[in-house]
Amino acid sequence: MATARPVVSIYNFENPSEKTGTMPMPVVLQSPLRPDLVREVHRDMAKNKRQAYAVKPKAGYDTAAESWCTGRAVARIPRAPGGGTHRAGQAAFGNQARGGGMFNPTTIWRRWHRRVNVTKKRHAVACALAASALPPLVMARGHKINQVAELPLVVSDGIQSLTKTKQAKEALKKLGCGEELQKVIDSKSIRAGQGKARNRRYVKRLGPLVIYNEDNGITRAMRNIPGVECAHVDRLNLLRLAPGGSFGRFVIFTEGAFKKLSDIYGTLKSGAPKKKGYTLPRAAMANADLARIINSTEVQSVLRPKMERYTHGIKRNALKSKELMEELNPGSTERRAVHLKSSQKGTPEYDEVQKKKKARIEESKKYNKEHKKGDETFYKTLMKAFEAKAAADAAKKAAEKAEDEEDEE
Amino acid sequence: MAERYAISKVNVPEGAAVPELVKMKMEKEEKLAEEKKQALAAKQKAREEERAKLKERTVAYEKEYADTAAELVKLRREAKLNGNFFVEPEAKLIFVVRIAGIMKMSPKPRKVLQLLRLKQLHNGVFLKVNKPILNMLKLVQPYVTYGYPSLKTVRELIYKRGFGKVSKQRIPLSSNDIISDALGKHGIHGMEDIIHEIYTVGPNFKQVSNFLWPFKLSSPKGGFVNKRHGYCEARGGDWGNREELINELLGRMN
Repeated sequence: MATARPVVSIYNFENPSEKTGTMPMPVVLQSPLRPDLVREVHRDMAKNKRQAYAVKPKAGYDTAAESWCTGRAVARIPRAPGGGTHRAGQAAFGNQARGGGMFNPTTIWRRWHRRVNVTKKRHAVACALAASALPPLVMARGHKINQVAELPLVVSDGIQSLTKTKQAKEALKKLGCGEELQKVIDSKSIRAGQGKARNRRYVKRLGPLVIYNEDNGITRAMRNIPGVECAHVDRLNLLRLAPGGSFGRFVIFTEGAFKKLSDIYGTLKSGAPKKKGYTLPRAAMANADLARIINSTEVQSVLRPKMERYTHGIKRNALKSKELMEELNPGSTERRAVHLKSSQKGTPEYDEVQKKKKARIEESKKYNKEHKKGDETFYKTLMKAFEAKAAADAAKKAAEKAEDEEDEE
Repeated sequence: MAERYAISKVNVPEGAAVPELVKMKMEKEEKLAEEKKQALAAKQKAREEERAKLKERTVAYEKEYADTAAELVKLRREAKLNGNFFVEPEAKLIFVVRIAGIMKMSPKPRKVLQLLRLKQLHNGVFLKVNKPILNMLKLVQPYVTYGYPSLKTVRELIYKRGFGKVSKQRIPLSSNDIISDALGKHGIHGMEDIIHEIYTVGPNFKQVSNFLWPFKLSSPKGGFVNKRHGYCEARGGDWGNREELINELLGRMN
């Protein structure tokens, strides 16, 4: 926002197609835009004009009701005493009872008002003024400013001396506010809700806010034009500059008022002459163009390059995918091919395998011939020992039998 | 690192005025693209060298496996021939699978299972056989089944269900680069290196086994016999040491 201040043209109030002069834009109108701040301050300020409401203190409790307690086949809620009338024995006091008090009765000592820090309020006003100088924001708020020559719209001081409403209306129309004023007239409708029965029957849109320095009749001229409001530059109200908490009100300044803005608010360096101890709000970022900052050489030169992300994809099984197996185990395909070849007749690998097999079988036969024939084999030696024992047992048995026979004889 | 630069193409319509920022970006991207190309070429060359070396090592490993097997056969035959007994070498490698769920687990076995990284049902890890490990397994006997995996089992587990721990994430072993980056300093650059280190329980077994995320196996097709009882019990069961027969179970769980 620290650019050279633009120059604003001042329009002749009688003949708005000609300009009577120029003026540099006051620094207020270049304050940083803080919709959150304006919303917050507006919310709290708007609460300050409230009137208290509450139910009567004794509402629902103005009976001598007492609970009948247990034993009478009725609920234990307090009941109105006496007899001879419908009211007798009816429930009372509870919020559930007919004619009883409400739950948590509204009170007049509810905290209706809010205090807002003075600096905050001033910042909010500065912010709202700045927003009123930006066509997109004013249009976004809903004002019809297509025919308006320039924003901020500054008119020569003569407009402050208008006394007739008709003249004021003419002047505004010539300035390009015709569409805006028509919008207000067209928007008059009956309020939705109970307000219509409470002396707030009609609602309509808001039109331009005329900010003046010296009231030589302008307020009375403008006050009957639907939608138009007037404000003295010394006493700017956030509730009018940002109605409903949304900034960007269509504002028409008089020359004197516009000049006085600089006198009231001053600059960031000088502070505000007319507001003790106050300086206009500063922006949180001097340069808010993030794209430019990020892509500047100062920043980019110390960044490491952007890297591709690691993606691992779906895990494949190397035991099933020959491609993956070759990737993980280089040479596996050719080894496998060689291995397969060895089972195909006619290939040298096959012959090699067959040769080895033959050699193995030969060896085995030789070994068997050497070690597994004859009488010294494991089995034969085992059986020999067995036979020896069997022979010894048989001999012993025969000897015993012979003895027995002898004994018998 | 330069091979991972993300280069974005800027589409400039013909004859259009190029904004200042876009121009700056284009120049920057051009320079990075150049660096990236060179880095990729260097990486490709390094990769080919690595692959050639890995191929040689793999052939050497296969020969080693065949030789050790043949040696054992020879010794067995020799012993029989001489009427001696051949004492089979004790297993060096164990594969442990968690059989029990997580509910109602006593604190001590629970802690031991955590230490062994068996935090979930049917999780499996490779372990080295030594006194401390055997003592730990004794504590968690009824909750695990374990045995001595064969080379085939080790290969199949690592190829099918091998995931690595890369910056605390469980990354599939879909490329030898992942292995090389993590275990390169221990001389392990590929799948076959891992398999060799695990199967032969080499000097870097601890690092390799820890790099491998605990295997998440399926429930065995055909079922368990009875998880409540021990494998060695007469009435039939599943927990405890089932030595060589772990391979049959893993064949159904992998």
